[in-house]
Amino acid sequence: MNIQNNYQKNKKNIFFSNNKDVQNHREKLLNIFENDRFDKKNNESLKNINLKNFIDFDYKYLIPEEISVINNNQENSYSIVSVNGQCSTFKDDKIEITKILDEDYNDFSKNDTIENNDHFVNLNSLFLNSGFKIVIKKNNNIKIKISNIITDDDLTIFQKNNYICEEGSSLNLIEEYENKNNSSSNILNVIKLEKNSQLNHFLIQDNSPNHNLIITSHSSCKKDSTYTQKVYNFSEGYVRNFHYSELIEANSEADLQGIFFLKDNNTSNNKTFVKHLAEDCKSNQIYKGILNDSSKATYFSNTHVDQVAQKTEGYQLSKGILLSDNASYFSKPELKIYADDVKCSHGSTIGPIDENAIFYLRSRGMSKIAATKILISSFINEELSSIDDEQMAEIIQKKLVRYLSKVK
Amino acid sequence: MFLEIKDLSVKIENKNILKNLNLSINQGEVHAIMGPNGSGKSTLANVLAGKEDYEILNGRINFKDNDLFDLNIEERAQEGMFLAFQYPVEIPGVNITPFLHSAINSKRKRMNEDEIDNLSFAKLLKSKASDLGINIDMLKRSVNTGFSGGEKKRYEILQMSILNPELAILDETDSGLDIDALKIVTDGVNKLKTKDNSFLIITHYQKLLDYIKPDYVHVMVNGSIVKSGGSEIAAEIEKDGFQKFQ
Repeated sequence: MNIQNNYQKNKKNIFFSNNKDVQNHREKLLNIFENDRFDKKNNESLKNINLKNFIDFDYKYLIPEEISVINNNQENSYSIVSVNGQCSTFKDDKIEITKILDEDYNDFSKNDTIENNDHFVNLNSLFLNSGFKIVIKKNNNIKIKISNIITDDDLTIFQKNNYICEEGSSLNLIEEYENKNNSSSNILNVIKLEKNSQLNHFLIQDNSPNHNLIITSHSSCKKDSTYTQKVYNFSEGYVRNFHYSELIEANSEADLQGIFFLKDNNTSNNKTFVKHLAEDCKSNQIYKGILNDSSKATYFSNTHVDQVAQKTEGYQLSKGILLSDNASYFSKPELKIYADDVKCSHGSTIGPIDENAIFYLRSRGMSKIAATKILISSFINEELSSIDDEQMAEIIQKKLVRYLSKVK
Repeated sequence: MFLEIKDLSVKIENKNILKNLNLSINQGEVHAIMGPNGSGKSTLANVLAGKEDYEILNGRINFKDNDLFDLNIEERAQEGMFLAFQYPVEIPGVNITPFLHSAINSKRKRMNEDEIDNLSFAKLLKSKASDLGINIDMLKRSVNTGFSGGEKKRYEILQMSILNPELAILDETDSGLDIDALKIVTDGVNKLKTKDNSFLIITHYQKLLDYIKPDYVHVMVNGSIVKSGGSEIAAEIEKDGFQKFQ
């Protein structure tokens, strides 16, 4: 079913459909889809995508019978199970979690992303059916783990989550996406960091081959705040990771990192975009990919330095290992600098595993397969050894071992 | 015969490098190959270790009663062959200690010997490193990463002493070493010399041979051994250069 028909048929079940402003906005979006469709030629970020899956889908959403449980077993530590993108309400003196409600349209219906013509974000706005808001209250230091569960096959989740880290707060957020059913998720995270706050955001993605995950985030950082994002994509299904960050006040920092492990015919599209809008800010964008079999990936990184953003430091790096002649990785770094006192760099290296290193290791008695595996592990060693959370390091290590067991 | 190279011809990218080369080494012998740049010395070392970039045109190599060409790179190492690289490869992210531990155990496995446990290996490594004047902190680093030229060579000798090979091929181990480092490295080699271990030492200069006394010296020019004899040849080369052999 096409987008127009899907919308007309299901609009009553989509959030904020009764609101006139939202309706008008959605009519405009529908027009964009009518006129622009998915223009692959002029939009590199659509490279390698099987568009049919995303244009001709059958909208289906089920309100979960049992709404998620929020546990606060340990002090300052919360675990949340989000079911079909929904979450129950929870409040204490440190944190406030609210599920999306029709009256919250001001919070949820705005398009907060830097890029206005992102079709997948527009689809999220059109079909929004789930989401929640989490506020970390002033000066609290907490940890949240969110497990994202989808209950049935063929569901199309369009979810928007709002995170607010109030002044002086610190949040360690671990999100797990491990869906084994045939469904798709289009998730938009809007993250606001107030003064002197910190968010370490980990996304572990490990979906089955029939699950598509499109995840977009937009973070904005006020004075002295830091947003760090680390994405670990082990999914066997399609994943799109597009992450935008705006440094809107001085001395703020954004660190967007990702590693993806692809095999078979899988595809992953990745993008990071940091906009420096104030002085003395820093950013890092580092993505590494390991591609086996006939897998394909893209990575676009962008640093935009506004003319007021003096003393900016902005670094980009993209690295890829191709384990097969049929694998491909397209990487494109971009820098737009309008200030004159900045330190910025970008680099990109993609290629097969180093044959000289393989020879060296084998000449000491290691088998070719063992040498290959040790070199893959060493390629991401820096990222893995920097994981402070022991439990998470163990999870990632297990998934890496599973991926390596398929490397021949 | 421990190692026998018979009529070996090898090419790479349409260029013939080794031409009907013959060389025999018995157990416990130290052989030195000297030759000018581009004579094929490193190619010989790489072919012996099993590097796959070369095309073998003719000839055979027997090693410990095996046809060497039947063994892949790691099998040669596990059978007791060791190449100390002229340019040791930097491998960031691969820690030296587990790498060497895994290397020694792969050899022991092939020899049907019990694997060496973590504690025993740590002790062995510490004592060998100390013999070679290698700082323990260096063992916490990644393989060859950020090492100076001298450190890399010293580390090659450390690996050799841990793996205790039956045939060690030293490819210009003396290059880039100052006199103190050369002494430490050659002391390490001399400590390994027994009646069962053989060495093939590739070098440009006689200096190395002042410290490691070879039983035989061969002159290699244009892909072939053109003269063999005792250490007097090294002195001859030191005096007159390679010109007269070409």
